Amino acid sequence: MNCPMKVGGNREVLLDYAAGKLNAGARTELDLHMRNCLPCSEFAAGQQSVWRALDEFEPAPVSMDFDRRLYARIEQSVPWWTRWLRPLNPLLRHSVPIAAAAGVIVMAGLLLDRPVAAPVAPAPQSAQVESLQPEQLQSALDDIEMLRQFNQLVPDSAGAKM
Amino acid sequence: MDERVKQGMGGLAATLDFDAELMLRVKEGDGASFAILLEKHRLPVIHFLYRMVQNQAVAEELAQEVFLRVYRSRASYEPTAKFTTWLFRIATHLALNSLRDGKYQRLEEHLDDDSAEAPARQVSDQHESVEQWMVHQARMEEIRRAVATLPEKQRAAVLMHKYEEMEYSQIAKVLNCSESAIKSLLFRAYETLRARLAHMA
Repeated sequence: MNCPMKVGGNREVLLDYAAGKLNAGARTELDLHMRNCLPCSEFAAGQQSVWRALDEFEPAPVSMDFDRRLYARIEQSVPWWTRWLRPLNPLLRHSVPIAAAAGVIVMAGLLLDRPVAAPVAPAPQSAQVESLQPEQLQSALDDIEMLRQFNQLVPDSAGAKM
Repeated sequence: MDERVKQGMGGLAATLDFDAELMLRVKEGDGASFAILLEKHRLPVIHFLYRMVQNQAVAEELAQEVFLRVYRSRASYEPTAKFTTWLFRIATHLALNSLRDGKYQRLEEHLDDDSAEAPARQVSDQHESVEQWMVHQARMEEIRRAVATLPEKQRAAVLMHKYEEMEYSQIAKVLNCSESAIKSLLFRAYETLRARLAHMA
């Protein structure tokens, strides 16, 4: 095999060797090469000692309330109209399709029944009211549903040991 | 799997990892899938961030931000890469930013003062003598310092390579480098660590 340490060689094979990522064939081939190659064998020994040392770098334990805090932040990030609509969720969930269908029927009726296109005065600026679009409402309902699922999950995960 | 999710995945279905499938379900409004993703990746993300910033409180704060961003991005999520690549790109970005702006420096000093993040340093094994424990802690401290002295990008690459067992190609995507650049980066990083930790062999 070509020496991994020479210019143009694949030095990462020595990293993979120390990490135990080489397959059996490649490992045997490198073992044979290192019997006669001091730079490679020294490098591999040094890398293996670094690898073992890094194993000792233990992380600290994670707070028990990590999930609870996260779900609380998710809840805070939900738009105001979602929180506002939450109590009405069961009602809206069933009434939205009905209201949409009724709206379509009413609109169709108005269009068919319209005798002459009369000029319509533009609505005064001050009379404009911010309204929720159907997509916003649907998104809000989805958010409510996910938050409901999170609320069911939190007591379970809060008790779990990290 | 849900038909709509399958359609959303398009031709990628065969190559998608399970996490990406879960994320697509989150996109469809499934909160339970988000909980599964959180359960699976909570510790790897927090541990990665802890080893990056070396402060547990900061690591948890950053991890909260990572998962919050995952949740907020659900609507625009597209499985163009492995889920873990995307997740660790967010985590690395946040870690590098926090290290660069030194936002948490005061918090770190405060925590160092009252040793609030030292539970791992307690004598955990009854069979371990105090002397052994002190030797172990001294070694840990030396390793921690050796990792901390690496340049930030090298540190991130080593942590993903060593602890997350990521492929070079995946680390390259996370750090937005070429694969050959990552190999050189890792080689230099490990050379530095060998020089600093050689006496510990």
